[in-house]
Amino acid sequence: MNRQIRQLAVGLLACYVVLFVALNYWQVGRKPELDARFDNTRQVLREFNRPRGPIVTSDGVVAAVSFPTAPGEPYNYRREYPTDDLLADITGYYTFAFGSTQVERLYGDVLTGTTTEQQVRGLGDLLGGTVETTGTVELAVREDAQEVAKFLLGGRTGSVTVIEPKTGAIRAMYSNPTYDPNTFVNADFDVAEGILTDLQNAEGNPLLAQAYQERYMPGSTFKVITTGIGLESGLITLDNTFADEREWVPPQTTDPIQNYNGSLCGGDLATVFARSCNIPFAQIATLLGPEAMVEGTKAWGIGEELPIDLPRPAASTFGNTDNLSEELPLLAIRGFGQSEVQMVPLHMAMVAGAIANGGQMMKPYAVQATYDQSGRTLDRTSPEVWKTPVSATTAEIEKQLMIGVAERGTASCCIALEGGIPVAAKTGTAQLGDPSNPGLSHAWIIAFAPADNPQYAVSVVLTNAQSTPDVAVTGGRLAGPIAKGILDFLLTGAGSQPVTPAVPGDGT
Amino acid sequence: MSDLDTATAVDPAVDSPLARSRRSTELTLVIMAALITGAAYTITALGTNAEIPPGIIFFVAILLGLLLCAHVVVRLVARGADGTLLPLAALLHGIGFVMIARLDDELAGLQATWSLVAIAAFVATLLVVQRATDLARYSWLFFFGGAFLLLLPLAPGLGVNINGARIWVSLGPINFQPGEFAKIALAIFFASYLADRRELIAASTWRIGPLHLPEPRYIAPIIMAWGFAVVVMVFQKDLGSSLLFFTLFVVMMWVATERLSYLLIGTVLFAAAAYFSWTQFGHVQTRVDIWIDPWADPLDKGYQIIQSLYGLADGGLTGTGLGRGNPGQVPEAQNDFIFSSIAEEWGLIGATGVLMAFILIVGAGLRIALRTDRTFEKLLAVGLTTIVGVQGFIIIAGVIKVVPLTGITLPFVSYGGSSLVANYVLLALLIRLSDSSARRLGELPDDPTPNERWKAWRLSRQLRRAERQAVA
Repeated sequence: MNRQIRQLAVGLLACYVVLFVALNYWQVGRKPELDARFDNTRQVLREFNRPRGPIVTSDGVVAAVSFPTAPGEPYNYRREYPTDDLLADITGYYTFAFGSTQVERLYGDVLTGTTTEQQVRGLGDLLGGTVETTGTVELAVREDAQEVAKFLLGGRTGSVTVIEPKTGAIRAMYSNPTYDPNTFVNADFDVAEGILTDLQNAEGNPLLAQAYQERYMPGSTFKVITTGIGLESGLITLDNTFADEREWVPPQTTDPIQNYNGSLCGGDLATVFARSCNIPFAQIATLLGPEAMVEGTKAWGIGEELPIDLPRPAASTFGNTDNLSEELPLLAIRGFGQSEVQMVPLHMAMVAGAIANGGQMMKPYAVQATYDQSGRTLDRTSPEVWKTPVSATTAEIEKQLMIGVAERGTASCCIALEGGIPVAAKTGTAQLGDPSNPGLSHAWIIAFAPADNPQYAVSVVLTNAQSTPDVAVTGGRLAGPIAKGILDFLLTGAGSQPVTPAVPGDGT
Repeated sequence: MSDLDTATAVDPAVDSPLARSRRSTELTLVIMAALITGAAYTITALGTNAEIPPGIIFFVAILLGLLLCAHVVVRLVARGADGTLLPLAALLHGIGFVMIARLDDELAGLQATWSLVAIAAFVATLLVVQRATDLARYSWLFFFGGAFLLLLPLAPGLGVNINGARIWVSLGPINFQPGEFAKIALAIFFASYLADRRELIAASTWRIGPLHLPEPRYIAPIIMAWGFAVVVMVFQKDLGSSLLFFTLFVVMMWVATERLSYLLIGTVLFAAAAYFSWTQFGHVQTRVDIWIDPWADPLDKGYQIIQSLYGLADGGLTGTGLGRGNPGQVPEAQNDFIFSSIAEEWGLIGATGVLMAFILIVGAGLRIALRTDRTFEKLLAVGLTTIVGVQGFIIIAGVIKVVPLTGITLPFVSYGGSSLVANYVLLALLIRLSDSSARRLGELPDDPTPNERWKAWRLSRQLRRAERQAVA
């Protein structure tokens, strides 16, 4: 019988070897395929059932927070956004079935406490009794500034972005249209899917954070860049003067370029900058030539994705530059920010910031710190220079030019700040050139203040603004008051008071 | 024969070093199993809700207490037995308990109670069955007992349908599956019956055409027992157990008669029965359809197996981490699907550990069968080992889609009192068989059992009394 028993042993061993092979097949061989199957919810579910820390603004307002659900609910937590749509562009949303965006997406590991550092600290804390490892993300953005920005926009499409020129900290970044994540994050699959589909198809793409994920024709605000490139090259100085002209015919064409409204415009650099004549800047671009202009715009970061700490930033563009030497009229027009030039609103705030900061353009950041479950700092964003497009001397010259815009130029109507705080600005009115609707424009302003010791740099854009017979859209008139409003609030208004420091990890 | 030579040299007065080393191996391994379980319990709790379980010291103490109690009883009444069986069972039991506790608090409490009962049953079995050969004397009792247990769920008022299978008996607050015990009873009956008549059955004097078959009267009771089991299983819709009984019967016949033809005939019979039930029963067809393509009905019939496979894939090589997976996605995760829960959270590595534990139990069981010189004990060891090994294979293969899924518990691991208690009884029997053969091989002195001592004492008293009377 022993022979049969040995054979039985071999047989049973073979059975278990088959099981081992099958386990390998499922757990290793077909793992990638099974993990990727659409109806496989394991990976999302695993993260979704973990506690998740809050996102707070730099003035201590909770922008996103999780609450445990009642027993029997499908998920262990529900995510809420107490500020509704105010900070949606920055926090993003966090859903079970439709993924997550913005800070919720990029800082998911910190919020759920799965970074190695948090895990290690969590082990240490175990002995002391605390065991939750969820983290807190503190935004650089201020809730109060955000509210003011939203109020000033008043429902018009466009965006307001405020950065600190010296650090790159984003203190406000609000755009219309936007959305309220609360409407779908905790909803049933079908309801959530319906709302998200509607939002995706809605005009103006509310789900997009236009301020850093969209780009628009910048109009005359681009002259800051053209002037900067000219001054850096040495071909242009403050002493240059430009003839009073209504029209100018660039090379390679017979089609003339006109100033805004076909007006007569000329003078020294400071004058044409303040009055925002178009022809002088078309001439500067032509004088510099395609190569210098393209290289120059690269020095300002144009063509690169913005180095912001949020997902999927847009890149500004100088347009197609393949045959620019054959297309000098296009180069001329791009010199004053029309045609194919498109700038990201945040990037324009950074342009103003670079002038304010002695020529150094800082990396913008929306998150200034992360904390562990006990409120200890995990990481604090340290300011970094991204580009140095102009020297300190050029920056100083351009600052004076921009002060001129605010004091006696196109922005003088609307930007004078409370308490006479000096301010520097540049307006822009990008005519979209729609033949059926010539009055359709993007109204821009970029500004920084106080001009002698810049604290804040602003970019405001009202997109697709419609001129009426009574009121023509201009950057100064439409965007100017918004820039003034937010700067006043931050420098002399309620927002100039010291903000309450954030209290991260308060038991959530 | 060298074993016997050395055995004769052992001074009965001196304790056997072999037995002592086996017991210290067992003690070390049992403590390790308890520590692994305690550590897994802690890590799982940390993974689930980031908390060290408040009663962890208490938990480990109780666990260790229970296992040490079992160990001490083995030391007292079966000290020559194999030292690995109890620790292997304890490890599987521990891993299963940790997973059940992680899936459902309430079930964990019940399972803890059942664990207590199971260890008590283990101790009781070792104490009651002091000589393995005693079992052979009651083989017919086991036959009728097993038949009775199998029929019990069909009794009106007692049997309960749970998940489509009528294998449960409800007695007041207690539900149990008598089938779990019936398989042990029938294994004992088969072993005893075949041990007595294996030559007669193997002789195959009855000829039908080219076939040589045993005399009908010798084989009839076995066919009856087997047919009885199969028919009852079909009525109770318990495919897994049915398959297990088939295999148990065929394997024991084959080993007893040493004739491969029994294995072949058994396989053919099984294939025929499987085909027949596939054509006749809707639930069998469903099982096969799901096995072939679970994604044909991913939200209903195929849901359980698909979720099991997703769990396996999510676990991958190293697992999601204890308490960090979502094994609760699989319906009945604590029961039939406990293996896929383990594979999800412990990964391929942990799951392979479980497979190896089963292989080692099978190895230890069959080694007992090889070592013993008595036919009955050989066959019983083969039968009991086959039950554990095949049952483990059927359910693991089912949840990882190697064979169609048949509902059956994973020995020692799954939730369920009857299963746990029955498997600990089975384990005690294997340990008893192991100890008996060690004693006969002379590895330790064959002291009389307490029962024999008691009888001897009574006898001597009677003798003395008789002497005194004679003197008087």
